[in-house]
Amino acid sequence: MVDLILKYNKILLILVISALISFNVKKAEAVENVNDPFENVNRNIFKFNNNLDDYFFKPVAKGWRKIPDIPRKPLTNLATTAKTPISLANAILQLNKESIGNIIGRFLINMTFGLGGLFDVASSDNFGNIAEVEEDFGQTLAVWGVPDGPYVMLPIFGPSSVRDAFGLGVDTITNPLSFGYRMNGIGLEARLSGPVVRGVSTREKYLDYLDEMKEGSLDFYATMRSLYRQKRRKDISGELESKDLSLSMLPIEEYEDEELKPDVKNIVTTMKGKDPQTKSEMTRYYNGVLPSSNYPAFNESRVNLIE
Amino acid sequence: MSYFRNFLILALFIIPIQSTSDEKIEQSKYFVENLGKEVVEKVSNVNLTESERNVNFRNLYLNSFDNYYISRFVLGRYWKNLDSNMRKQFVKSFNDYIVATYAPKFKGWEGTFQAVDSLIENNYYNVKMNVLNKDGPTLKLIWKIYLDKNKNFKILDVNIDGVSMLVTQRAEFMSVIKNNPKGVLGLIEAMIKKTSG
Repeated sequence: MVDLILKYNKILLILVISALISFNVKKAEAVENVNDPFENVNRNIFKFNNNLDDYFFKPVAKGWRKIPDIPRKPLTNLATTAKTPISLANAILQLNKESIGNIIGRFLINMTFGLGGLFDVASSDNFGNIAEVEEDFGQTLAVWGVPDGPYVMLPIFGPSSVRDAFGLGVDTITNPLSFGYRMNGIGLEARLSGPVVRGVSTREKYLDYLDEMKEGSLDFYATMRSLYRQKRRKDISGELESKDLSLSMLPIEEYEDEELKPDVKNIVTTMKGKDPQTKSEMTRYYNGVLPSSNYPAFNESRVNLIE
Repeated sequence: MSYFRNFLILALFIIPIQSTSDEKIEQSKYFVENLGKEVVEKVSNVNLTESERNVNFRNLYLNSFDNYYISRFVLGRYWKNLDSNMRKQFVKSFNDYIVATYAPKFKGWEGTFQAVDSLIENNYYNVKMNVLNKDGPTLKLIWKIYLDKNKNFKILDVNIDGVSMLVTQRAEFMSVIKNNPKGVLGLIEAMIKKTSG
């Protein structure tokens, strides 16, 4: 009997160890599995998009930035309001009460007090600072449990996944505004005005950040892929950090190697507004622990006593 | 009577813990706000030479961030396969790369770090902060920090609108290593090239 228990204990132990190993492997894979089987094609499309951006979208976005706040902001607000039907439809499909309330609230406030959507007064403090919510069919599919699938780089539209690209297509075809346009015989130019304004406005918003990112990046394609994945995860689940990517998976350790310890040298400060020629006289040297040693009310002995 | 005594003992334990926790939360907020002031004074200052700016940025980075943790994290599973010499080489190149990438971006930057809230989660402090740019939109960040054994706060990560800088950096490095026949050495060479270029 004892032998039997010991035998089963061993089996149990092996199972537990196997489970732990497979769990850790899964964690590691989750971090490093980029699910990008079409990487070569994607990279070529990314190159094409980048060139298009350099020679077309970026100059247009720079020009857009130069337009005065009026009419730039009202046009952007109108284009954003035009997305309301599709966002609302998806919020309903997701049974997301918070988003439904938010979208309807914003729409009613902006259509009335915001003069037909020209001004985004719903985002102001006077109207409770209602944040803009965008829901799309890709998110709806995610809520329904459809995985995102392989990463794809769409021409012009940029980073996406198989699920989100499908969602984009569905949103475009089923947009209630499209039916309205067709019924009223409104041409393609007018129909495209909303997406174009939204696209240019978004590009303008990220003008400086994208340039800086591109400049400092060793692999801009991989950076964009990671940014897209993280942003989508946050938009869908509201999680700031995937549990698989949680920082807590890596324990904080003290420096194993003395030579790896950071060698902090003097900090040089120059008094602002002084004559550069006399700068050497004004240079001060700090050799203290910065900035964590100088909190107000920081009393190490008191903290230690309590602990 | 016994119930009352137990309650009193419990209260005596809970109140100091609560006050320590509140104090540390305030300290964590002060830490990031103070970091903003340090950046304005010691990095953004337009009167500094490039070399002075880089030295100051490097020291702020090494003092305020957990350089060792970040280096291990961004290298992922490759870290454990490196010998001590390669690790040193990587950490040095990575620090140089961080300095060369970020220090120039702060030249002339004017703004304030305003801590909004700080939440404790599994021994980490998530400090929510608004970066109030003087000429530009307000940026909302979350700093993930912890108290090291010397009771100094150390930054582990910065999260901007759901995007972790650490996870992004790691994804980029993994891709560089995967696509470079020299592996980690190729990454180090790429960082050195970027830093010197």
